[in-house]
Amino acid sequence: MKEPNANQSQCKIMSAQEAVRRFVFDGALVGVGGQTIGRSAMSIYHEIIRQGKKDLFLVGCNLSLCMDMLVGAGLVRRTECGTGNMERFGTTFAWRRAIEQGKLENEDYSHLAMATRFLGGEMGLPFMPTQSLLGSDILNRKHSTTGKKFELIANPWNPEEKVALLPSLNPDVSIIHAQKADSMGNLIIEGFLAHEPEMIRASKRVIVSCEEIVPSEEIRRYPERTTIAYPYVSAVVLQPWGAHPTGTYRYYSHDSEHIREYQKAAREGGAAFQKYLEHYIFSSSCFDEYLEKVGGLKKYNALRQDMMQLV
Amino acid sequence: MAVDFQLDELMVIEAARHIRDGETVFVGTGMPMVAGMYAQKTHAPNMCFVVETGPIAPQVLPVPTSVSDPKAMYRAAKLGTLRETLGCLLQRGMVDVGFLGGAEIDQFANINSSMIGTEYDRPKVRFPGSGGANDIASHARRILIITRHERRRFPERCAYITSPGYIDGPHGRKKAGLKSAYPDITVVTDLCVMAIDKSIGRLKVAKLMPGVTLQQVQENTGFAIEGQPQIEIVQIPTPEEVEILRREVDPGREYIGKD
Repeated sequence: MKEPNANQSQCKIMSAQEAVRRFVFDGALVGVGGQTIGRSAMSIYHEIIRQGKKDLFLVGCNLSLCMDMLVGAGLVRRTECGTGNMERFGTTFAWRRAIEQGKLENEDYSHLAMATRFLGGEMGLPFMPTQSLLGSDILNRKHSTTGKKFELIANPWNPEEKVALLPSLNPDVSIIHAQKADSMGNLIIEGFLAHEPEMIRASKRVIVSCEEIVPSEEIRRYPERTTIAYPYVSAVVLQPWGAHPTGTYRYYSHDSEHIREYQKAAREGGAAFQKYLEHYIFSSSCFDEYLEKVGGLKKYNALRQDMMQLV
Repeated sequence: MAVDFQLDELMVIEAARHIRDGETVFVGTGMPMVAGMYAQKTHAPNMCFVVETGPIAPQVLPVPTSVSDPKAMYRAAKLGTLRETLGCLLQRGMVDVGFLGGAEIDQFANINSSMIGTEYDRPKVRFPGSGGANDIASHARRILIITRHERRRFPERCAYITSPGYIDGPHGRKKAGLKSAYPDITVVTDLCVMAIDKSIGRLKVAKLMPGVTLQQVQENTGFAIEGQPQIEIVQIPTPEEVEILRREVDPGREYIGKD
Protein backbone atom coordinates (compact mmCIF):
# COMPACT_ATOMS: atom_id res chain seq x y z
CA MET A 1 0.00 0.00 0.00
CA LYS A 2 1.31 3.40 -1.00
CA GLU A 3 0.12 5.43 1.97
CA PRO A 4 -0.10 3.25 5.06
CA ASN A 5 -1.19 6.04 7.39
CA ALA A 6 -3.84 7.71 5.25
CA ASN A 7 -6.66 6.50 7.51
CA GLN A 8 -4.99 8.01 10.61
CA SER A 9 -4.84 11.54 9.18
CA GLN A 10 -6.72 14.08 11.31
CA CYS A 11 -7.97 15.99 8.29
CA LYS A 12 -9.07 13.92 5.33
CA ILE A 13 -10.97 16.59 3.46
CA MET A 14 -9.76 16.78 -0.13
CA SER A 15 -11.02 17.26 -3.67
CA ALA A 16 -12.46 14.40 -5.73
CA GLN A 17 -9.42 14.76 -8.04
CA GLU A 18 -6.96 14.22 -5.19
CA ALA A 19 -8.96 11.36 -3.62
CA VAL A 20 -9.14 9.44 -6.90
CA ARG A 21 -5.48 10.16 -7.75
CA ARG A 22 -4.29 8.89 -4.37
CA PHE A 23 -6.61 5.98 -3.64
CA VAL A 24 -7.90 4.52 -6.91
CA PHE A 25 -5.32 2.73 -9.07
CA ASP A 26 -5.46 0.77 -12.32
CA GLY A 27 -6.57 -2.79 -11.59
CA ALA A 28 -8.04 -1.90 -8.18
CA LEU A 29 -10.75 -4.00 -6.52
CA VAL A 30 -13.41 -1.32 -5.99
CA GLY A 31 -16.32 -1.66 -3.56
CA VAL A 32 -19.41 0.12 -4.89
CA GLY A 33 -21.80 1.71 -2.39
CA GLY A 34 -25.42 2.77 -2.83
CA GLN A 35 -28.20 0.81 -4.45
CA THR A 36 -30.10 1.37 -7.71
CA ILE A 37 -31.42 4.95 -7.46
CA GLY A 38 -30.07 5.69 -3.97
CA ARG A 39 -26.79 7.26 -2.90
CA SER A 40 -24.24 6.48 -5.62
CA ALA A 41 -21.14 8.66 -5.15
CA MET A 42 -21.38 9.99 -8.71
CA SER A 43 -18.85 12.83 -8.32
CA ILE A 44 -16.15 10.27 -7.52
CA TYR A 45 -17.08 8.04 -10.48
CA HIS A 46 -17.03 11.05 -12.82
CA GLU A 47 -13.51 11.75 -11.62
CA ILE A 48 -12.45 8.12 -12.16
CA ILE A 49 -13.68 8.45 -15.74
CA ARG A 50 -11.84 11.75 -16.26
CA GLN A 51 -8.63 10.27 -14.87
CA GLY A 52 -9.13 7.09 -16.92
CA LYS A 53 -8.43 4.63 -14.10
CA LYS A 54 -8.72 1.29 -15.86
CA ASP A 55 -8.95 -2.53 -15.52
CA LEU A 56 -11.17 -2.00 -12.49
CA PHE A 57 -12.78 -4.94 -10.68
CA LEU A 58 -16.10 -3.77 -9.25
CA VAL A 59 -17.89 -5.53 -6.39
CA GLY A 60 -21.15 -4.73 -4.61
CA CYS A 61 -24.67 -5.98 -4.21
CA ASN A 62 -26.82 -4.14 -6.73
CA LEU A 63 -24.52 -2.41 -9.20
CA SER A 64 -26.42 0.35 -10.96
CA LEU A 65 -25.85 3.46 -13.03
CA CYS A 66 -22.34 4.29 -11.75
CA MET A 67 -21.09 0.79 -12.57
CA ASP A 68 -22.77 0.93 -15.97
CA MET A 69 -21.09 4.25 -16.74
CA LEU A 70 -17.62 2.89 -15.92
CA VAL A 71 -18.29 -0.25 -18.00
CA GLY A 72 -19.51 1.89 -20.92
CA ALA A 73 -16.37 4.03 -20.62
CA GLY A 74 -14.29 0.85 -21.02
CA LEU A 75 -12.67 1.02 -17.59
CA VAL A 76 -13.95 -2.23 -16.06
CA ARG A 77 -12.42 -5.68 -16.44
CA ARG A 78 -14.64 -7.64 -14.07
CA THR A 79 -17.74 -7.42 -11.87
CA GLU A 80 -18.92 -9.65 -9.02
CA CYS A 81 -22.37 -8.80 -7.78
CA GLY A 82 -25.93 -9.77 -7.08
CA THR A 83 -27.43 -7.68 -9.89
CA GLY A 84 -26.75 -5.15 -12.58
CA ASN A 85 -30.07 -3.38 -12.60
CA MET A 86 -31.92 -0.05 -12.55
CA GLU A 87 -35.24 -1.74 -11.74
CA ARG A 88 -38.12 0.40 -13.10
CA PHE A 89 -35.65 2.35 -15.27
CA GLY A 90 -34.55 -0.80 -17.06
CA THR A 91 -31.44 -2.92 -16.92
CA THR A 92 -27.85 -1.69 -16.88
CA PHE A 93 -27.46 -1.61 -20.64
CA ALA A 94 -23.70 -1.11 -21.07
CA TRP A 95 -23.04 -3.93 -18.57
CA ARG A 96 -25.52 -6.23 -20.28
CA ARG A 97 -24.05 -5.55 -23.72
CA ALA A 98 -20.45 -6.03 -22.54
CA ILE A 99 -21.31 -9.40 -20.96
CA GLU A 100 -23.27 -10.57 -24.01
CA GLN A 101 -20.29 -9.65 -26.21
CA GLY A 102 -17.89 -11.52 -23.96
CA LYS A 103 -15.98 -8.30 -23.17
CA LEU A 104 -16.66 -8.23 -19.44
CA GLU A 105 -16.07 -10.97 -16.89
CA ASN A 106 -18.98 -11.23 -14.48
CA GLU A 107 -19.52 -13.59 -11.59
CA ASP A 108 -23.00 -13.95 -10.10
CA TYR A 109 -23.87 -14.15 -6.42
CA SER A 110 -27.03 -13.26 -4.52
CA HIS A 111 -27.25 -10.06 -2.50
CA LEU A 112 -27.01 -11.94 0.79
CA ALA A 113 -24.03 -13.88 -0.57
CA MET A 114 -22.22 -10.62 -1.39
CA ALA A 115 -23.07 -9.12 2.01
CA THR A 116 -21.80 -12.37 3.58
CA ARG A 117 -18.48 -12.02 1.71
CA PHE A 118 -18.08 -8.46 3.02
CA LEU A 119 -18.98 -9.68 6.51
CA GLY A 120 -16.11 -12.17 6.32
CA GLY A 121 -13.83 -9.41 5.06
CA GLU A 122 -14.73 -6.93 7.80
CA MET A 123 -14.04 -9.51 10.51
CA GLY A 124 -10.65 -10.46 9.12
CA LEU A 125 -11.76 -14.00 8.27
CA PRO A 126 -10.94 -15.82 5.03
CA PHE A 127 -14.45 -17.08 4.31
CA MET A 128 -17.98 -16.97 5.64
CA PRO A 129 -20.85 -19.46 5.41
CA THR A 130 -24.30 -19.03 3.93
CA GLN A 131 -27.25 -21.29 3.22
CA SER A 132 -28.39 -19.22 0.28
CA LEU A 133 -27.41 -20.40 -3.25
CA LEU A 134 -27.93 -24.11 -2.45
CA GLY A 135 -29.38 -26.00 -5.43
CA SER A 136 -29.14 -22.99 -7.75
CA ASP A 137 -27.05 -22.40 -10.85
CA ILE A 138 -25.28 -19.60 -8.99
CA LEU A 139 -23.26 -22.48 -7.50
CA ASN A 140 -23.34 -24.69 -10.61
CA ARG A 141 -22.14 -22.16 -13.19
CA LYS A 142 -19.12 -19.88 -13.07
CA HIS A 143 -17.04 -17.74 -15.37
CA SER A 144 -14.03 -19.50 -16.89
CA THR A 145 -11.70 -17.00 -15.19
CA THR A 146 -13.16 -17.57 -11.72
CA GLY A 147 -11.17 -19.77 -9.37
CA LYS A 148 -12.81 -21.68 -6.56
CA LYS A 149 -16.17 -19.98 -6.19
CA PHE A 150 -17.40 -21.77 -3.06
CA GLU A 151 -16.91 -24.84 -0.89
CA LEU A 152 -19.89 -26.95 0.08
CA ILE A 153 -19.45 -28.55 3.50
CA ALA A 154 -21.53 -30.49 5.98
CA ASN A 155 -22.23 -28.61 9.21
CA PRO A 156 -19.59 -30.16 11.57
CA TRP A 157 -22.17 -30.21 14.39
CA ASN A 158 -25.05 -31.54 12.29
CA PRO A 159 -23.70 -33.42 9.26
CA GLU A 160 -27.20 -33.64 7.75
CA GLU A 161 -27.08 -29.92 7.09
CA LYS A 162 -25.26 -28.31 4.12
CA VAL A 163 -23.45 -24.98 4.19
CA ALA A 164 -21.77 -23.04 1.38
CA LEU A 165 -18.52 -21.28 2.30
CA LEU A 166 -17.83 -18.13 0.30
CA PRO A 167 -14.49 -16.32 -0.05
CA SER A 168 -14.33 -13.04 1.89
CA LEU A 169 -13.86 -9.74 0.09
CA ASN A 170 -11.55 -6.90 1.08
CA PRO A 171 -11.84 -4.14 -1.54
CA ASP A 172 -8.74 -2.02 -2.23
CA VAL A 173 -11.00 0.99 -2.08
CA SER A 174 -14.70 1.51 -1.51
CA ILE A 175 -16.63 4.49 -2.80
CA ILE A 176 -19.53 5.79 -0.72
CA HIS A 177 -21.86 8.78 -0.60
CA ALA A 178 -22.95 9.82 2.91
CA GLN A 179 -25.17 12.56 4.22
CA LYS A 180 -22.67 13.77 6.82
CA ALA A 181 -19.01 13.36 7.66
CA ASP A 182 -16.56 15.20 9.85
CA SER A 183 -13.05 16.13 8.74
CA MET A 184 -11.58 12.95 10.29
CA GLY A 185 -13.96 10.71 8.34
CA ASN A 186 -16.55 9.79 10.92
CA LEU A 187 -19.69 9.08 8.88
CA ILE A 188 -23.39 9.46 9.43
CA ILE A 189 -25.40 7.62 6.77
CA GLU A 190 -29.15 8.17 6.91
CA GLY A 191 -31.87 6.04 5.40
CA PHE A 192 -31.23 2.59 4.01
CA LEU A 193 -27.77 1.12 4.52
CA ALA A 194 -27.84 -1.92 2.19
CA HIS A 195 -24.44 -3.69 2.26
CA GLU A 196 -22.39 -0.60 3.01
CA PRO A 197 -21.43 -0.91 6.71
CA GLU A 198 -19.91 -4.36 6.11
CA MET A 199 -18.24 -3.33 2.85
CA ILE A 200 -16.76 -0.13 4.30
CA ARG A 201 -15.26 -1.93 7.30
CA ALA A 202 -13.85 -4.62 4.96
CA SER A 203 -12.08 -2.11 2.70
CA LYS A 204 -8.41 -1.08 2.79
CA ARG A 205 -9.28 2.46 1.71
CA VAL A 206 -12.61 4.31 1.63
CA ILE A 207 -13.46 7.46 -0.31
CA VAL A 208 -16.56 9.21 0.96
CA SER A 209 -18.35 12.07 -0.71
CA CYS A 210 -20.82 13.85 1.53
CA GLU A 211 -23.58 16.43 1.49
CA GLU A 212 -22.30 18.22 4.59
CA ILE A 213 -19.23 18.41 6.78
CA VAL A 214 -20.21 18.44 10.45
CA PRO A 215 -17.98 19.45 13.39
CA SER A 216 -16.19 16.56 15.12
CA GLU A 217 -17.61 17.98 18.33
CA GLU A 218 -21.10 17.07 17.13
CA ILE A 219 -19.96 13.52 16.34
CA ARG A 220 -18.44 13.14 19.81
CA ARG A 221 -21.53 14.53 21.53
CA TYR A 222 -23.80 11.88 19.91
CA PRO A 223 -21.41 9.00 19.11
CA GLU A 224 -24.24 6.47 18.96
CA ARG A 225 -25.37 8.19 15.75
CA THR A 226 -22.06 7.48 13.99
CA THR A 227 -22.58 4.87 11.28
CA ILE A 228 -18.86 4.38 10.57
CA ALA A 229 -15.93 5.52 12.73
CA TYR A 230 -12.95 7.29 11.14
CA PRO A 231 -10.28 4.53 11.17
CA TYR A 232 -11.89 2.91 8.10
CA VAL A 233 -12.03 6.11 6.06
CA SER A 234 -9.29 7.63 3.87
CA ALA A 235 -10.79 10.64 2.09
CA VAL A 236 -13.72 12.98 2.66
CA VAL A 237 -14.95 14.91 -0.37
CA LEU A 238 -17.51 17.62 0.28
CA GLN A 239 -19.91 17.52 -2.66
CA PRO A 240 -23.49 18.65 -2.13
CA TRP A 241 -25.82 16.95 -4.65
CA GLY A 242 -22.95 14.53 -5.14
CA ALA A 243 -25.19 11.51 -5.77
CA HIS A 244 -27.08 13.05 -8.69
CA PRO A 245 -28.92 11.57 -10.62
CA THR A 246 -29.40 9.06 -7.80
CA GLY A 247 -31.04 10.38 -4.64
CA THR A 248 -29.87 11.02 -1.08
CA TYR A 249 -32.30 10.24 1.75
CA ARG A 250 -33.52 13.38 3.57
CA TYR A 251 -31.72 15.63 1.01
CA TYR A 252 -33.10 15.10 -2.52
CA SER A 253 -34.94 12.57 -4.66
CA HIS A 254 -33.44 10.76 -7.60
CA ASP A 255 -33.76 12.62 -10.92
CA SER A 256 -35.99 10.40 -13.09
CA GLU A 257 -35.58 12.68 -16.08
CA HIS A 258 -31.79 12.50 -16.09
CA ILE A 259 -31.75 8.76 -15.32
CA ARG A 260 -33.93 8.23 -18.40
CA GLU A 261 -31.56 10.39 -20.45
CA TYR A 262 -28.59 8.27 -19.31
CA GLN A 263 -30.51 5.03 -19.92
CA LYS A 264 -31.35 6.13 -23.46
CA ALA A 265 -27.68 6.84 -24.20
CA ALA A 266 -26.56 3.58 -22.58
CA ARG A 267 -29.16 1.53 -24.42
CA GLU A 268 -28.12 3.02 -27.74
CA GLY A 269 -24.41 2.77 -26.93
CA GLY A 270 -21.71 3.87 -29.42
CA ALA A 271 -21.85 7.53 -30.42
CA ALA A 272 -24.85 8.33 -28.19
CA PHE A 273 -22.98 7.03 -25.13
CA GLN A 274 -19.76 8.85 -26.08
CA LYS A 275 -21.75 12.05 -26.51
CA TYR A 276 -23.17 11.65 -23.00
CA LEU A 277 -19.69 11.16 -21.52
CA GLU A 278 -18.25 14.04 -23.51
CA HIS A 279 -21.02 16.51 -22.67
CA TYR A 280 -21.49 15.74 -19.00
CA ILE A 281 -18.13 14.41 -17.85
CA PHE A 282 -15.12 15.11 -20.09
CA SER A 283 -16.14 18.68 -20.86
CA SER A 284 -16.88 19.40 -17.19
CA SER A 285 -13.83 20.20 -15.09
CA CYS A 286 -15.62 19.27 -11.87
CA PHE A 287 -18.95 17.98 -10.58
CA ASP A 288 -20.32 21.47 -9.93
CA GLU A 289 -20.09 22.18 -13.66
CA TYR A 290 -22.04 18.99 -14.37
CA LEU A 291 -24.68 20.03 -11.83
CA GLU A 292 -25.19 23.30 -13.71
CA LYS A 293 -25.63 21.39 -16.98
CA VAL A 294 -28.30 19.08 -15.60
CA GLY A 295 -30.52 21.89 -14.37
CA GLY A 296 -28.83 23.87 -11.62
CA LEU A 297 -30.73 25.30 -8.68
CA LYS A 298 -34.14 25.05 -10.29
CA LYS A 299 -33.76 21.30 -10.74
CA TYR A 300 -32.30 20.82 -7.27
CA ASN A 301 -35.00 22.75 -5.49
CA ALA A 302 -37.60 20.55 -7.21
CA LEU A 303 -35.79 17.33 -6.26
CA ARG A 304 -35.42 18.57 -2.70
CA GLN A 305 -39.15 19.34 -2.51
CA ASP A 306 -39.88 15.81 -3.76
CA MET A 307 -37.79 14.32 -0.97
CA MET A 308 -39.27 16.58 1.71
CA GLN A 309 -42.68 15.02 1.08
CA LEU A 310 -41.29 11.56 1.84
CA VAL A 311 -39.31 12.01 5.05
CA MET B 1 -73.88 -5.37 -10.87
CA ALA B 2 -70.99 -6.04 -13.21
CA VAL B 3 -67.64 -4.84 -11.89
CA ASP B 4 -65.32 -3.18 -14.34
CA PHE B 5 -61.81 -4.62 -13.94
CA GLN B 6 -58.89 -5.95 -15.97
CA LEU B 7 -57.27 -9.35 -15.40
CA ASP B 8 -54.05 -7.47 -14.73
CA GLU B 9 -55.74 -5.79 -11.76
CA LEU B 10 -57.29 -9.01 -10.53
CA MET B 11 -53.83 -10.64 -10.71
CA VAL B 12 -52.55 -8.07 -8.20
CA ILE B 13 -55.62 -8.39 -5.96
CA GLU B 14 -55.54 -12.21 -6.04
CA ALA B 15 -51.80 -12.30 -5.25
CA ALA B 16 -52.41 -9.99 -2.28
CA ARG B 17 -55.08 -12.38 -0.96
CA HIS B 18 -52.32 -14.93 -0.33
CA ILE B 19 -50.84 -12.63 2.35
CA ARG B 20 -52.43 -12.93 5.79
CA ASP B 21 -52.65 -10.09 8.25
CA GLY B 22 -49.76 -9.99 10.69
CA GLU B 23 -47.37 -11.98 8.52
CA THR B 24 -43.81 -10.97 7.79
CA VAL B 25 -43.53 -10.60 4.02
CA PHE B 26 -40.24 -10.11 2.18
CA VAL B 27 -41.13 -8.13 -0.91
CA GLY B 28 -39.12 -8.02 -4.12
CA THR B 29 -39.06 -5.17 -6.65
CA GLY B 30 -41.79 -4.49 -9.22
CA MET B 31 -45.24 -6.10 -9.11
CA PRO B 32 -44.68 -7.69 -5.66
CA MET B 33 -44.33 -4.19 -4.17
CA VAL B 34 -47.62 -3.16 -5.78
CA ALA B 35 -49.48 -6.26 -4.54
CA GLY B 36 -47.84 -5.95 -1.11
CA MET B 37 -49.05 -2.34 -0.86
CA TYR B 38 -52.54 -3.42 -1.84
CA ALA B 39 -52.55 -6.11 0.89
CA GLN B 40 -51.35 -3.54 3.43
CA LYS B 41 -54.13 -1.12 2.48
CA THR B 42 -56.90 -3.73 2.60
CA HIS B 43 -56.98 -6.95 4.62
CA ALA B 44 -53.42 -7.02 6.00
CA PRO B 45 -52.78 -3.65 7.72
CA ASN B 46 -50.51 -5.38 10.25
CA MET B 47 -48.27 -7.18 7.79
CA CYS B 48 -44.58 -6.58 8.39
CA PHE B 49 -43.32 -5.43 4.98
CA VAL B 50 -39.58 -6.10 4.57
CA VAL B 51 -37.48 -4.68 1.72
CA GLU B 52 -33.92 -5.88 1.12
CA THR B 53 -32.17 -2.49 1.21
CA GLY B 54 -33.05 -2.23 4.92
CA PRO B 55 -36.63 -1.01 5.49
CA ILE B 56 -38.48 -3.04 8.14
CA ALA B 57 -42.25 -2.50 8.39
CA PRO B 58 -42.58 0.59 6.15
CA GLN B 59 -46.01 1.91 5.16
CA VAL B 60 -45.11 2.03 1.48
CA LEU B 61 -46.26 5.04 -0.56
CA PRO B 62 -47.40 4.80 -4.17
CA VAL B 63 -45.39 3.75 -5.98
CA PRO B 64 -41.68 2.97 -5.58
CA THR B 65 -39.54 2.70 -8.71
CA SER B 66 -36.96 0.66 -6.81
CA VAL B 67 -36.22 -1.05 -3.50
CA SER B 68 -33.98 1.95 -2.74
CA ASP B 69 -36.80 4.46 -3.33
CA PRO B 70 -37.70 6.46 -0.18
CA LYS B 71 -41.34 5.61 -0.95
CA ALA B 72 -40.46 2.05 0.08
CA MET B 73 -39.08 3.38 3.40
CA TYR B 74 -41.94 5.63 4.50
CA ARG B 75 -42.69 5.44 8.23
CA ALA B 76 -40.66 2.23 8.60
CA ALA B 77 -40.01 0.86 12.07
CA LYS B 78 -36.33 0.67 11.15
CA LEU B 79 -34.08 1.36 8.21
CA GLY B 80 -31.43 -1.28 8.63
CA THR B 81 -28.93 -3.11 6.48
CA LEU B 82 -29.17 -5.74 3.81
CA ARG B 83 -27.46 -8.18 6.18
CA GLU B 84 -30.25 -7.63 8.71
CA THR B 85 -33.13 -8.05 6.24
CA LEU B 86 -31.75 -10.87 4.08
CA GLY B 87 -29.56 -12.41 6.78
CA CYS B 88 -31.25 -12.02 10.15
CA LEU B 89 -34.94 -11.91 9.24
CA LEU B 90 -34.86 -14.09 6.15
CA GLN B 91 -32.01 -16.62 6.41
CA ARG B 92 -32.70 -17.10 10.13
CA GLY B 93 -36.21 -18.18 9.19
CA MET B 94 -38.40 -15.31 10.43
CA VAL B 95 -40.10 -14.58 7.10
CA ASP B 96 -43.53 -16.10 6.43
CA VAL B 97 -43.87 -15.16 2.78
CA GLY B 98 -41.24 -14.42 0.13
CA PHE B 99 -42.86 -12.44 -2.67
CA LEU B 100 -41.15 -12.39 -6.07
CA GLY B 101 -41.68 -11.43 -9.69
CA GLY B 102 -40.26 -13.60 -12.40
CA ALA B 103 -38.50 -13.43 -15.73
CA GLU B 104 -38.75 -17.17 -16.47
CA ILE B 105 -40.54 -19.76 -14.31
CA ASP B 106 -40.45 -23.48 -15.06
CA GLN B 107 -42.69 -26.43 -14.10
CA PHE B 108 -40.78 -26.88 -10.79
CA ALA B 109 -41.29 -23.16 -9.99
CA ASN B 110 -37.60 -22.43 -10.42
CA ILE B 111 -36.98 -18.82 -11.46
CA ASN B 112 -34.44 -17.58 -13.98
CA SER B 113 -33.55 -13.90 -13.77
CA SER B 114 -29.93 -14.33 -14.89
CA MET B 115 -29.38 -15.39 -18.48
CA ILE B 116 -30.55 -17.12 -21.66
CA GLY B 117 -28.06 -19.21 -23.62
CA THR B 118 -25.58 -21.97 -22.90
CA GLU B 119 -22.30 -20.10 -22.41
CA TYR B 120 -22.06 -18.39 -19.05
CA ASP B 121 -19.07 -16.36 -20.28
CA ARG B 122 -21.06 -15.10 -23.24
CA PRO B 123 -24.81 -15.47 -22.74
CA LYS B 124 -27.27 -14.91 -25.56
CA VAL B 125 -29.28 -12.58 -23.31
CA ARG B 126 -28.09 -11.27 -19.99
CA PHE B 127 -30.75 -10.43 -17.37
CA PRO B 128 -30.06 -8.46 -14.17
CA GLY B 129 -29.28 -11.47 -11.94
CA SER B 130 -30.49 -12.65 -8.55
CA GLY B 131 -30.49 -9.58 -6.37
CA GLY B 132 -32.15 -10.83 -3.21
CA ALA B 133 -34.41 -13.26 -5.13
CA ASN B 134 -32.25 -16.36 -4.60
CA ASP B 135 -32.14 -15.60 -0.88
CA ILE B 136 -35.91 -15.04 -0.71
CA ALA B 137 -36.71 -18.27 -2.61
CA SER B 138 -34.18 -20.22 -0.52
CA HIS B 139 -35.34 -19.23 2.94
CA ALA B 140 -38.98 -18.05 3.04
CA ARG B 141 -41.51 -20.44 4.56
CA ARG B 142 -43.96 -19.76 1.70
CA ILE B 143 -43.15 -18.43 -1.75
CA LEU B 144 -45.48 -16.24 -3.74
CA ILE B 145 -44.69 -15.35 -7.35
CA ILE B 146 -46.55 -12.83 -9.52
CA THR B 147 -45.98 -12.52 -13.25
CA ARG B 148 -47.87 -12.01 -16.49
CA HIS B 149 -48.65 -15.23 -18.30
CA GLU B 150 -46.72 -15.50 -21.55
CA ARG B 151 -45.41 -18.66 -23.16
CA ARG B 152 -41.81 -17.41 -23.21
CA ARG B 153 -41.96 -16.84 -19.45
CA PHE B 154 -43.00 -20.44 -18.70
CA PRO B 155 -40.45 -22.83 -20.28
CA GLU B 156 -40.25 -26.51 -19.41
CA ARG B 157 -36.86 -25.99 -17.73
CA CYS B 158 -35.22 -22.68 -16.94
CA ALA B 159 -31.99 -22.04 -18.86
CA TYR B 160 -30.46 -21.09 -15.50
CA ILE B 161 -31.88 -21.56 -12.01
CA THR B 162 -31.35 -18.25 -10.25
CA SER B 163 -33.85 -18.87 -7.46
CA PRO B 164 -34.81 -22.41 -6.51
CA GLY B 165 -38.34 -23.75 -6.67
CA TYR B 166 -38.51 -27.52 -6.25
CA ILE B 167 -35.39 -27.72 -8.49
CA ASP B 168 -36.01 -31.11 -10.19
CA GLY B 169 -38.73 -32.93 -8.27
CA PRO B 170 -40.51 -33.40 -4.94
CA HIS B 171 -37.32 -33.72 -2.87
CA GLY B 172 -35.14 -31.35 -4.91
CA ARG B 173 -34.88 -28.70 -2.20
CA LYS B 174 -34.26 -31.24 0.55
CA LYS B 175 -31.42 -32.85 -1.47
CA ALA B 176 -29.88 -29.44 -2.16
CA GLY B 177 -29.78 -28.78 1.59
CA LEU B 178 -32.36 -26.01 1.81
CA LYS B 179 -33.85 -25.76 5.30
CA SER B 180 -37.13 -24.53 3.84
CA ALA B 181 -37.39 -27.94 2.13
CA TYR B 182 -41.08 -28.23 1.27
CA PRO B 183 -42.54 -24.71 1.05
CA ASP B 184 -45.91 -23.88 -0.47
CA ILE B 185 -45.23 -22.12 -3.78
CA THR B 186 -48.01 -20.19 -5.49
CA VAL B 187 -47.72 -18.50 -8.88
CA VAL B 188 -50.37 -15.88 -9.66
CA THR B 189 -50.69 -14.71 -13.27
CA ASP B 190 -53.27 -12.84 -15.32
CA LEU B 191 -54.62 -16.20 -16.54
CA CYS B 192 -54.53 -18.47 -13.50
CA VAL B 193 -53.18 -19.41 -10.10
CA MET B 194 -50.75 -22.33 -10.01
CA ALA B 195 -49.59 -24.11 -6.88
CA ILE B 196 -46.90 -26.70 -6.28
CA ASP B 197 -48.22 -30.24 -5.91
CA LYS B 198 -45.77 -31.45 -3.27
CA SER B 199 -46.13 -35.12 -4.27
CA ILE B 200 -44.53 -34.38 -7.66
CA GLY B 201 -42.79 -31.05 -7.00
CA ARG B 202 -44.52 -29.52 -10.01
CA LEU B 203 -46.95 -26.67 -10.59
CA LYS B 204 -50.62 -27.45 -11.17
CA VAL B 205 -53.43 -25.06 -11.97
CA ALA B 206 -55.45 -24.40 -8.83
CA LYS B 207 -57.66 -21.55 -10.04
CA LEU B 208 -58.54 -19.93 -13.35
CA MET B 209 -59.16 -16.24 -13.85
CA PRO B 210 -62.82 -15.54 -14.72
CA GLY B 211 -63.49 -16.35 -18.37
CA VAL B 212 -60.14 -18.11 -18.91
CA THR B 213 -59.99 -21.79 -19.92
CA LEU B 214 -57.39 -24.43 -19.10
CA GLN B 215 -56.81 -24.65 -22.86
CA GLN B 216 -55.84 -20.95 -22.92
CA VAL B 217 -53.42 -21.47 -20.06
CA GLN B 218 -51.86 -24.41 -21.95
CA GLU B 219 -51.46 -22.32 -25.11
CA ASN B 220 -49.52 -19.75 -23.11
CA THR B 221 -47.34 -22.20 -21.19
CA GLY B 222 -44.25 -24.07 -22.38
CA PHE B 223 -44.81 -27.14 -20.18
CA ALA B 224 -47.72 -29.58 -19.95
CA ILE B 225 -50.47 -28.06 -17.86
CA GLU B 226 -52.44 -30.15 -15.44
CA GLY B 227 -55.29 -28.94 -13.31
CA GLN B 228 -55.86 -29.88 -9.70
CA PRO B 229 -58.91 -32.17 -9.34
CA GLN B 230 -61.07 -29.20 -8.36
CA ILE B 231 -60.23 -26.03 -10.24
CA GLU B 232 -61.78 -22.94 -8.71
CA ILE B 233 -62.50 -19.63 -10.39
CA VAL B 234 -60.67 -16.63 -8.93
CA GLN B 235 -63.11 -14.52 -6.97
CA ILE B 236 -63.97 -11.35 -8.88
CA PRO B 237 -63.08 -8.12 -7.09
CA THR B 238 -65.58 -5.78 -5.51
CA PRO B 239 -65.86 -2.23 -6.91
CA GLU B 240 -64.22 -1.03 -3.66
CA GLU B 241 -61.22 -3.32 -4.18
CA VAL B 242 -60.69 -2.07 -7.74
CA GLU B 243 -61.06 1.51 -6.53
CA ILE B 244 -58.41 1.10 -3.82
CA LEU B 245 -56.02 -0.43 -6.32
CA ARG B 246 -56.54 2.37 -8.85
CA ARG B 247 -56.65 5.29 -6.43
CA GLU B 248 -54.32 4.36 -3.60
CA VAL B 249 -51.87 1.78 -4.89
CA ASP B 250 -50.94 2.64 -8.48
CA PRO B 251 -52.69 5.91 -9.30
CA GLY B 252 -50.29 6.76 -12.13
CA ARG B 253 -50.68 3.25 -13.60
CA GLU B 254 -46.93 2.87 -13.49
CA TYR B 255 -47.05 -0.90 -13.02
CA ILE B 256 -50.56 -2.13 -13.72
CA GLY B 257 -51.44 -2.19 -17.38
CA LYS B 258 -47.79 -2.13 -18.43
CA ASP B 259 -45.27 -4.86 -19.13
